[in-house]
Amino acid sequence: MAATNNILEAAAVTKQFGGLTAVNSVDFVIGRGSICSVIGPNGAGKTTFFNMITGVYTPTSGTLLFDGKSIAGLKPDQVTTSGIGRTFQNIRLFGNMTALENVLVGMHARLNANLFGILIRSKKVKAEEASARRAALDLLDYVGLGSERANEISKSLPYGDQRRLEVARALATNPKLLLLDEPTAGMNPQETAALTKLIRQIRDERDITVLLIEHDMKVVMDISERITVLDRGIKIAEGSPELVRTNEQVIEAYLGRGAAAHGKGGRRPATAT
Amino acid sequence: MSNAVKVGLWSGLLGLFIVVMFSGRSILMCGIITGVFAGLLAGARTDGSTMRDGIRDAAIAAGVGGALLLLANLIRHLLIDPLVAQTPPPLIDDILVGLLAAAIAVVIGVAFGAAHFLNGRVGLASARVPASSAATWALLGLIIIAYPFLDQAIQLGWIGIIITSLVFILLAMGLNVVVGYAGLLDLGYAAFFAIGAYTVALLSSDHLGGQLGFDLRLSFWLVLWIAAAMAAIFGLILGSPTLPLRGDYLAIVTLGFGEIVPIVFRNLDRLTIKIGDWVLVKNFNLTGGEPGISPIDPPVLPGMNFADRTDQRPWYFLLIAIIILSMILINRLRDSRLGRAWMAMREDELAAASMGINIVQTKLLAFSMGAFFSGFGGAFFAAFVSGAFPSSFDFSVSVIVLCMVILGGLGNVTGVIVGGLIIELSDRLFLPQVSLFLQDLAKANPTLEWLQRFDPNLYRFGLFGLVLVMMMQLRPEGLLPNARRRAELHEGEEPVEAVQSVVG
Repeated sequence: MAATNNILEAAAVTKQFGGLTAVNSVDFVIGRGSICSVIGPNGAGKTTFFNMITGVYTPTSGTLLFDGKSIAGLKPDQVTTSGIGRTFQNIRLFGNMTALENVLVGMHARLNANLFGILIRSKKVKAEEASARRAALDLLDYVGLGSERANEISKSLPYGDQRRLEVARALATNPKLLLLDEPTAGMNPQETAALTKLIRQIRDERDITVLLIEHDMKVVMDISERITVLDRGIKIAEGSPELVRTNEQVIEAYLGRGAAAHGKGGRRPATAT
Repeated sequence: MSNAVKVGLWSGLLGLFIVVMFSGRSILMCGIITGVFAGLLAGARTDGSTMRDGIRDAAIAAGVGGALLLLANLIRHLLIDPLVAQTPPPLIDDILVGLLAAAIAVVIGVAFGAAHFLNGRVGLASARVPASSAATWALLGLIIIAYPFLDQAIQLGWIGIIITSLVFILLAMGLNVVVGYAGLLDLGYAAFFAIGAYTVALLSSDHLGGQLGFDLRLSFWLVLWIAAAMAAIFGLILGSPTLPLRGDYLAIVTLGFGEIVPIVFRNLDRLTIKIGDWVLVKNFNLTGGEPGISPIDPPVLPGMNFADRTDQRPWYFLLIAIIILSMILINRLRDSRLGRAWMAMREDELAAASMGINIVQTKLLAFSMGAFFSGFGGAFFAAFVSGAFPSSFDFSVSVIVLCMVILGGLGNVTGVIVGGLIIELSDRLFLPQVSLFLQDLAKANPTLEWLQRFDPNLYRFGLFGLVLVMMMQLRPEGLLPNARRRAELHEGEEPVEAVQSVVG
């Protein structure tokens, strides 16, 4: 069953809020080991779609298969333990906990200490805690935060480091699929380039499939192997960056009908820097 | 330098108040209290960095405090005693005792001041702690152990009040798990206290056995754990339907539960269970109704006589042991995967869930663990007063315990203990004494007759309210806050770099 080459398969997924259809019958697949993106103008339904995968919303109809098993209607923690890690569009770190603790919280579901073991502080629990700490430090190192920042309160970290910490925390859940919600939002070009590199590195070295929602066209075109474009809840285009870049409907969605009709004069989204 | 004097003045002022109010030998106790305060504060606030600075500052602070004590004894002797028509001992006695108290304060102060600057670490390889904190704790431990003997020697008679206060502090430590760590507002915490107490009352007295005709009297050492487990189980039972609620709604439901439990205990004295025509139980007295259940067997331990209720020292040591055990367990919980999940949940529930934390289960565990420690408290309290009475568990208990947690500092065990001591000692020791003092004053001076109708005890809740409002205005994070809580509460006041870098 899990032998399929797609790690995530969405078929005719629909989400309605009262009379409003935010996502309308979207089919969508992510190939194992790929880096995919979902783009679209504001209000296109990207975040709603994302929230259905991560368990924040339950789809009104349609099927969502992760690794061959249905995840539609699971709670966020169940989605995470089944192997999907995520970051948030507006950073949601545990601001008053240290960087190390944030990563340790990410490991929560992987640790086995039970109440009794914690209360008597058994050898097993101590050993587990020590190895979790080592693994968390390694992860901080991996995303480029270095262990000297480990004991800093996370909200006092520089903005770019907070983004990295969120990635480390998501990696700590040991995901097979990593969902990144606008990971480069608010970053300067250097920070963006470094994070793009990190995302590619995560895919290559850790064998983790990555799905991005991103506004920064440069990032999307640069990194994605496959792009899905949503507009008003409907999938209007899908394919390689080159294909999407030249798609009439995409240009129209981003820049309006007039721009698409005249061709010239309008900036093309793909080349916007 | 000036810091040390300031610290000394503050620690001496408390002693001055106590001495003026209580007179007698309380000044020796004040010597110790002043010494501890002066030593700890001077150590923490000194500008110096060597042990010599620490000792010097602590000595100055304790000296100033001690001088205030001596002054207090003179005030008492020359001004107050005539006013309340008491014959004081010879003046030279009062001066000598005052000097002795000042000397005690200086010795203790210097010891704490020196301990603060001990270098290096002590302990086994796996659990090494800084020598300074180890020495500070050791000194505090010595004083805690010495206190009941001193109390007896100078016939202070505070020990019963101290024990009751410590029970409340134990409750506050448990509530801190629920409110401080997990961020769930529980206004019905007294219910679990009651459940612990009644568990002991039922299993460790003649109440059930007498009615059923068999001897059910379990040892206190076993029942203590059963009581804690019962409280924890009821924490789960209450929690499971209510925890999907958030914030204010949860608080209201727990408030209701806190009211229901004592009422249930009050009314289970004529229990009849009928299934159709078949009567399972008829008019069974389960909880003793309004008069409650009493007496309860004292614990039995070789070398300690709990049965002699005129000497409360064994009870004191038992309670200290329970509190230390609870502190260790709470610290372990806090530093575990579970404690981290609680804090994460408090900060951001969705982000916590997205890290694979099962929110409902984690909340339930917080509720249940908080209840567990109040089960300890209830069990001890029932055995100590040798009875369980429904009136001991009303709403005011929940409120006072919550006040302690807030006053001391949400999320910090030391802060909660300090807050608890302040509230309980003011409530049970100082306020009644002020009231007695005013009575004496009124009796001795006919012109002050109106004072006889003024009883500060009646204003205790008003005072609590005032203190809480002032705390919320001046220092919302509590006296000794958890560093994180402080950060949360002062979020708006500091420059937020993250936001600037987004904009920039």
